Amino acid sequence: MASTTLTPPGAAPAPRATRAITAARLLPWLLLAPSAAVLLVVTGYPLVRMLWLSVHEYERAQLLGVPAPFVGLDNYTATLTDPRFWTVTARSFAFMVVCVVLTIVVGTLVALLLMKLGRGMRLVLSVGLLLAWAMPPLAAMLVWGWIFDTQYGVVNHLLTSLTSTDWMGHSWLVSPLSFFAVATLVVVWGAIPFVAFTLYAGFTQVPGEVLEAAHLDGANARQRFVDVQVPYVRTIYVVLIVLSMIWDLKVFTQIFVLQGIGGVKSQTSTLGVYIYEMGMAQGHYGAASAIAVVFTLVMLTISAYYVRVTIREETP
Amino acid sequence: MKILRTGAVGLAAALVLAACSGGGDSGTDASDGADGAEIRVWLVGTDTPDAARDYLTTTFEEENPGSTLTIEEQSWTGLVDKLTTALSSSDSPDVVEVGNTQAATFTSAGFFAPLDDIADDLGGDDLLPGFVKAGTWEDTFYAAPYYAGSRIVFYSDQVLGGTPVPTTLDEYVATAKSLRTADRSGLWFPGQDWYNALPFVWENGGFIAEAGDDGEWEAGFSTDGGITGLEQVQDLMTNASNAPKDGDEAELQVPFCAGQTTFLSAPNWIRWSIQAPADAETPGCADTFGADLHAFPLPGATAGETAKVFAGGSNVAVATKSQDVDLAKKALTIMLSEEYQTILAENSMIPARISLASALPDDEFTQASAAAAANAELTPATPRWGDVEAQKVIQDALVRIAQGGDVTTIAQELDASIEQILNG
Amino acid sequence: MSLAPAGAVPVTAATTAGTTAGRGAPPARRRPARRTVASVGWGVLALLVSAAFAFPVYWMVSTSFLPTDLISGPELHLWPDEPTLRNYDTAIFRQERSPFLPALGNSLQVTFLVLVASMVLAFLGSLALTRFRFRGRRAFVLSILVVQMIPGEAMMITVFQLVDTWQLLNTVVALGVVYLAGVLPFTIWTLRGFVNGVPVELEEAAMIDGCSRPRAFWKVTFPLLAPGLVATGVFAFLQAWNEFMMALIIMTRPESMTLPVWLRTFQQATKATDWGALMAGSVLVAIPVVVFFLLVQGRMTGGLVSGAVKG
Repeated sequence: MASTTLTPPGAAPAPRATRAITAARLLPWLLLAPSAAVLLVVTGYPLVRMLWLSVHEYERAQLLGVPAPFVGLDNYTATLTDPRFWTVTARSFAFMVVCVVLTIVVGTLVALLLMKLGRGMRLVLSVGLLLAWAMPPLAAMLVWGWIFDTQYGVVNHLLTSLTSTDWMGHSWLVSPLSFFAVATLVVVWGAIPFVAFTLYAGFTQVPGEVLEAAHLDGANARQRFVDVQVPYVRTIYVVLIVLSMIWDLKVFTQIFVLQGIGGVKSQTSTLGVYIYEMGMAQGHYGAASAIAVVFTLVMLTISAYYVRVTIREETP
Repeated sequence: MKILRTGAVGLAAALVLAACSGGGDSGTDASDGADGAEIRVWLVGTDTPDAARDYLTTTFEEENPGSTLTIEEQSWTGLVDKLTTALSSSDSPDVVEVGNTQAATFTSAGFFAPLDDIADDLGGDDLLPGFVKAGTWEDTFYAAPYYAGSRIVFYSDQVLGGTPVPTTLDEYVATAKSLRTADRSGLWFPGQDWYNALPFVWENGGFIAEAGDDGEWEAGFSTDGGITGLEQVQDLMTNASNAPKDGDEAELQVPFCAGQTTFLSAPNWIRWSIQAPADAETPGCADTFGADLHAFPLPGATAGETAKVFAGGSNVAVATKSQDVDLAKKALTIMLSEEYQTILAENSMIPARISLASALPDDEFTQASAAAAANAELTPATPRWGDVEAQKVIQDALVRIAQGGDVTTIAQELDASIEQILNG
Repeated sequence: MSLAPAGAVPVTAATTAGTTAGRGAPPARRRPARRTVASVGWGVLALLVSAAFAFPVYWMVSTSFLPTDLISGPELHLWPDEPTLRNYDTAIFRQERSPFLPALGNSLQVTFLVLVASMVLAFLGSLALTRFRFRGRRAFVLSILVVQMIPGEAMMITVFQLVDTWQLLNTVVALGVVYLAGVLPFTIWTLRGFVNGVPVELEEAAMIDGCSRPRAFWKVTFPLLAPGLVATGVFAFLQAWNEFMMALIIMTRPESMTLPVWLRTFQQATKATDWGALMAGSVLVAIPVVVFFLLVQGRMTGGLVSGAVKG
C-alpha cells in the first residue's frame, strides 16, 4: 500500500534506482507530514506569534485591528522588574517541588504496595486508583471544594466530631499555607495513580531471579529496593520526574478553581494562573507573552539535562 | 463499543455540519440585503424573566419580518474572557449584556458600536445616569443601562424580635454586634464581600479612586474616612459575623434560611430565593424565616438618610462586529422600550428608565431597593478598573482585614496596588 | 538506550507490563503458601489506600443522590439515607437553557475525533522518527519535547484568532484540531519509545521470509505496539474530554457547548449553586471516562511510560 503512494503523482518517470532513493527520502516526511502540519499551524504559528506579541503592546483594542506599537523589550523589563512575577515564580517552584516529591514518593510506595498484594486486593487498589484518575479535573475540583467547604464541608464535620473542638466554619483556604496544603493534596491525589501504575509496571519488569539472587545474598527489603529495583527503573523515574515537573509547574485548573472558592488571590497565584490573569483576564496579551517566554526559558534550563541526554541519544 | 459507534456517527455528522456552517455563512451574507438576518442576543444568567425574553423575540420578529432573534444565555463565570474573544471574532453576537463594572473594559477598546444616534430612542435623559456614565467612553455613548439592583438589609421578625430597626449606620453596626451569638451572626459578612464593604468607606468620606486634573488616579481607602470605614468593616466582620473570613457573596440565602444570621445585606432579588419553598430545586425557607421577612435600605451616617451603596446591574450594547448593526440597534431599542422595561420592573428589577420606577411592585423589598438605588455609587469609570476586579485586590485586602490585620497598613497597600493598576 | 538496564529489557517487556499490570498476574515471585499476618496487613493497607483515593468519587456520587435540603444542612450524611434521582432529573432535563444531551454529543464527537486522529498521526509520526534516518529528525524530536513546556494559556488568544480566520468557530473539527495539536507532542513521543523498543531485526527476519517492508512492519511490529497505542489513546481521551478554556471561547453558541463548559453553567452568580445537581452533573461527566477506562483497562497501565522510557 505504501509503495504506491511513495512517488508523488505526476513525477517524471525516473530510473528505478533514483526513484527508490527519492522514495526513501520522502517516505519519512510523508509519514510525518500530517502531524507536522497540525503542529506547525496550531502550535508553531502561535509560538512565533507569542514571540512577536512579547515585543509589542498588544491589548484588547488590538484584537479589533488597531495596530500594535512595537515596544522593544519593554514587556520583558516590566516582567523581570515586577516583584509580583518573582514572588509568583518562587511560589510556583516551591509548590512544584513539594508536589513532585510527594507524588514520586507516595507513588513509589503505592507501586510497591501493588507488588506486595495478591490478585484480589490488587484489583481493589487498582479500582480506587483508577477512579481517582478517571475523575475529570473540573468535577474533581468542585468535589474537593465541597469536601473542604467552610460551612458544610465533610472535613470540618469529621474533625469536629473526632476532636471535640469546633471546626465548623474553619476556612481551609484563607491562609496561603493551608490553601497550598489543600492544593497539594488535590494535585498529588490526581497525579499518583498514573505514577503508581507506571512504576508498578516498571517494577514488574525486574526479573524475579535478580531479586531472588539479591535476597539470597542477604540483602534486606530496603537494600533490594535501592540497589536492584530502583536502578532497573531509573529511566522511568527520570521521565516521571520530568513530566511531573512540567505538569506541576504549569498547574492551572486546580489553583484557578480553588481561588474561585476561597483564599487570597494575590497570595496564591501560580505561574499558569498569573499568565492567564495577565492575558485572557486583563487583556495584556503582549505582557503575558513575555512572561510565557521567560517561563519557557526557565523550564528549558531546569530540564536541560534531560533534553541533552535525549538529543545525544538521537543518532543523527 | 456502543459509545464509540455513536461517536462515529457523531463525527460524520460533525463533518457534515462543518461543511454546512461554511456554506451557511455565505447564506447569511446573501440574506443580509434581503433583511432576513439573524440577530443573536447574549443575556447573562437567569435574571431576565421569561416574559421579557418572549416579549423581545416576538416584538422583534413582528417588527422585522423575515428576521429572527435568538437569545443565547451566557454564564457570569468566564464572561469577560468569552466576550473578549467572541466580540472580536467573525461569529460575534449582535447584542450583549455586560456587568456595569465590566462595561468600560469593552467601551474603551472599540468592542461596542456607538449609540449616540439612537440615544433618544433608548430613553435619553430618562436613563439611569450612573449607568449611562459607565457605558460612555470619551463622550461617546456605547452601552445603555439595562437594569439595576441594589443591596438592602433583610431580617426576619421572629429573629430580630423587639430590637428596633437601626436608623443610622453607627446604630446598625452596634445592633449587629449586640445580636451576635455563637450560633448566629448579627450580620452575615463574608470576607470577600466588597460590595457590602464599600458603603462604609463612602459614608465616612472615603472613596475608591478619583482622577486628578492631570489624569492620575488617586485611591482613597487610606484617607481618614476610608480607614474609619474599613475599621467599621473589620469591627463587623470580626465582632458581628460568623461568616467565613474568605467566603464570597454567593448563596447568601443559605445561612439566612439556616437561621445563622439576623441581618443579611444582599441584592433585593435574593428575596425570591429566601421565600422559595424548602423543597424547591434551590431551597429557601418560605415557611420559617421567609414567612415574616422584612427589609430596609442601609441607613446613612445621619438618621433619615440612606447610605451610599454599590449599584449592581447590567448594561447592554451592540457589538461592533455585528453582522447587521442597524438591526441589532432595533433589538436594543426594544430592550429599552417602556413595555420591556416595565416587565423587568414588575419582576423587582430596577428599570433602566427612571420614569418606570412606578411600575415596581409596591412591596417593602422593592421600595427599600429603590430608596437605596437613589443613592447608588459606581466603581471608577476607567477601562483599567476591570484589571482591579480581575486581580481581586479589594477582596484580598478585605480578607486580610477580616482576619484582624492592621487596617491602616492594608489600606495603604491596597491604595498602592489600585494606583499602580489604574495609572498603568 | 544507554541510560539504564531498562534498555536491555527484551522486546516483550513493554507488552507484558501493559497486560500484567491490569490482569494482575505478577511475574514469577515466590510467596509463602500460608497466609501470614503480614499479607493480611498489606491487604488492610491496600483497602485503606484504595478508599482514600476513591473517597472524593464516593462523596460526589453520594451527594448526587441526596435531596437538596439535606445537602446544605447542619447534619452530615455519609450515606444517602433517602436517595433520590431528582438531582439527575434536574441536571439532565431541567437545565433548560443549557441542555445536557447536546453537550454530551459534542464532547463525544470531539473526543472521538481527537482519539482516532491522534493515534493514527502519532503512529505514522513515530514510525518516521524511529525507522528512518533523515535530516531534520533531531530537530523534530527536540521541538516536540520543547513544545510541551510552553504554557498554553499564553497561546489561547492566537489559537482563537486562527480558528476565527478559518471561519471554523463553533465546529467540532476546529476544536478537535486544537486539541490534537495539544496532545500530539506527547503521543508521538510516547509511541516513538514503543517502536524503538521493537528491534528492526524482527522485521528484517520477516522480510527474509518474503514479506515486503510495510507488510513485515504490519505483521510483526504493529501488534507489539498495542499497549503504546492504548496509552496514547488514554492520554488523548482525557485531554479532549476535560479541556475547559478553549472549549469556552471556541464554542460560543449554546448548542455547541461541551461538557466541561456545561458543568460550569451550574454555578450562577446571582443564584444559589445547586450542589446536588452539580454533583449529579459531575457524575454524568465522569461516567464515560470510567467506561472508557474499563474498556481498555487490561492494556492501559504502564503503557505510557514503557514507551516514554524506551526513548
